[in-house]
Amino acid sequence: MPSSPALTVPKAQKIMAVLWSSFLVSSLASILFFFTFDPQTALHLDISKMAAYSIGFFLFWLTTGLSSLLTLYFSTPLPQVSSSTHIDEL
Amino acid sequence: MKSSEENHTTQSIPLETVQESLYAKREKIYPRQVLGLFSRLRITSVFTLLGIYYIFPWLTWDGRQAVLLDLPARKFYIFGLTFWPQDMIFLAFLLIMAGLTLFFFTALAGRLWCGFACPQTVWTEVFLWMERWVEGDRPQQMKLDKAPMSARKFRLKATKHAIWIFFAAYTGLTFVGFFSPIRELCVNLWHFNASTTETFWVFFYGFATYGNAGWLREQICIYMCPYARFQSAMFDKDTMVLAYDTQRGEPRGSRKRGEDYKTAGLGDCVNCTMCVQVCPTGIDIRNGLQYQCISCSACIDICDEVMDKVGYPRGLIRYTTQNILEGGHTHVFRLRIFIYGFLLLSLFLGWMYAISQRSLVELDVMRDRNSLFKETETGFIENVYVVKLMNLDEHAHSFQITAKGIDGLQLELNQTSELKLVSGEILDVPVRLIADPKQLKQRSTDVSFQMQATDAPTNPKLTTVEQARFLGPITR
Repeated sequence: MPSSPALTVPKAQKIMAVLWSSFLVSSLASILFFFTFDPQTALHLDISKMAAYSIGFFLFWLTTGLSSLLTLYFSTPLPQVSSSTHIDEL
Repeated sequence: MKSSEENHTTQSIPLETVQESLYAKREKIYPRQVLGLFSRLRITSVFTLLGIYYIFPWLTWDGRQAVLLDLPARKFYIFGLTFWPQDMIFLAFLLIMAGLTLFFFTALAGRLWCGFACPQTVWTEVFLWMERWVEGDRPQQMKLDKAPMSARKFRLKATKHAIWIFFAAYTGLTFVGFFSPIRELCVNLWHFNASTTETFWVFFYGFATYGNAGWLREQICIYMCPYARFQSAMFDKDTMVLAYDTQRGEPRGSRKRGEDYKTAGLGDCVNCTMCVQVCPTGIDIRNGLQYQCISCSACIDICDEVMDKVGYPRGLIRYTTQNILEGGHTHVFRLRIFIYGFLLLSLFLGWMYAISQRSLVELDVMRDRNSLFKETETGFIENVYVVKLMNLDEHAHSFQITAKGIDGLQLELNQTSELKLVSGEILDVPVRLIADPKQLKQRSTDVSFQMQATDAPTNPKLTTVEQARFLGPITR
C-alpha cells in the first residue's frame, strides 16, 4: 500500500525544518548568552568579540541543529506491522 | 503547465485535493508581470523599505553612524538613542510591540505583512524585476528554460546570476554595515583588509539573499515561515481576506464575445487563468482561501484588468471578509481589535515614557571587603567603599559624589582631580566616609550616596542615588 500523501514530507521541508528552526533558536541562545557573558572579560577568550560572537553562534547552531536532526529522525513513522503478519515472518 | 491550467473543471475543487499539490515535486513558478493599484502599492513599499535598509547605514548623527549596532562595544546607536546591555529590556519590549503590531494588522486586514512588507517578499520582488529585465516576462522565461542550452541561453542565465550575485553581495555588505562602521568596512573590503568575521558575514548574508530571493522564494513562505503557520489563529469572519467571489464567478468557462453567458449558465469567471499565472506562490485563488496565499493581490489587479476588458464589473477577486461573502455585514470594531489595540497603545505609551525617564547615569557602591571599619587618629570612624560611576549619556560630564544619612558625615576621595567621564565610561573611585562615633546610634547605619553632574545639576536624568551601610563599633 502506498503511503498516504499526508505522511510524505518533501525533502525541502525536512531540510528547512532542521536548519531553520535550529537557526532561530541558536540566534536566541546567542543573544541571551552574550548579553550575560562578555567573551573577553568573562570567558577570557583571546580573540575579537565579533569573532567570538560568530563562533559562539555557529556552535549553538551546530548543537541546536543536531537536536533538530534527532527530532526529525525519531519522528519518522515506524514500520507498520499488520495484525495478520506472524512474528516468525519478520 | 499551460494545459493543466486550462483543464480545470468547472466545479470548485475541495480543499483536500489542494493540500496534495503541496507535496508534489516543486515546479518553478514564473509569476506573470502585472500592473495595478496593489502592485503599485507594493513597488512603493519595496522602494521605501529597501531605501531604509540601504541608506540608513550611511547616515550620520552627532558625528557617528546614525544606526549602528556596535556589538564589540556592546552599545546600540539608533539615531539619538544609545542602548546599553542593561537597556536590553527596552529592545525586548520593542520586539513585543512589533509582534503585537503584526497581530493587530493581521486581525484587521489579513496578511498585509506578507504581501507588502516582509523582507522575503520585498527582496524576491526585486529579484523578479532583475529576472524579467534579463529574460523577459513569464512566456519568454518558460520558453528559455525549456530550450536546450545554447550560447544565448547561457549568456542570459549568466547575466541574470551575475546581477543577482552583485546585488546580493551589496546587500550582505549593507547588513554588516549595521554592525561595523560601513565607511571603514567598504575601504577595508576594497583593500582585502576586512577582518575574517566581517568578510564571512558579508558572504553569508549575501548568499542567504541570493538563495532565498533567487531560488527558494515561495518555499520560504510555505515551509519556513512560522507566521504563515499561525496567522490563521488571528483570523475571524471579519478579517479582510483576499477572496474569489464563487457565487458570482461560478460556473466558470470561456465564452464567445457578445454571447449571453447567463442564459448559457455561466458565471462571471471567464477562466482565463491569469490569476494563476500572476500568483507568486503558484496557487489558484478560486479554490478558496489557502495558507500559501500571501495576500500579494496580484490576482486582484490582473482580474480587474480582465473584467475591464470583457466589460464586467470589477471585484470578482477582491479584498473582502467572510461575513460579506456570506451575505452579512462586517464589524471593524470588535473585541479582538480592541484588545490588540489597547495592549499595543498602552505598551507603546509606557515604552515612550520609560525611554524618556531612563537614567543616563548609574552608580554602584561596594563596601571594602577587607575591613568593617577603622578608627582614625582623631577618634572618628572611617568606612571604605569603591564607588562605580557610569556615564550612559552621549556626552561627557563631570560628576560629584556626596553622601548623607549621618549628621556631620564627611566624604573623602583619594583623587583630587575632577571626576570627568566621557560617554560610556565606567570609573571605579575609592571613597572614604568619616563619621563621629557619637552620631552612630547602632552598629549599622543606612547612608545614601548621590551622584550628580556638576555641569547640569538640575537634570534629574544625570542624578542618581544609591543606598549603602555604614558600620561602626557597638555603641555603649
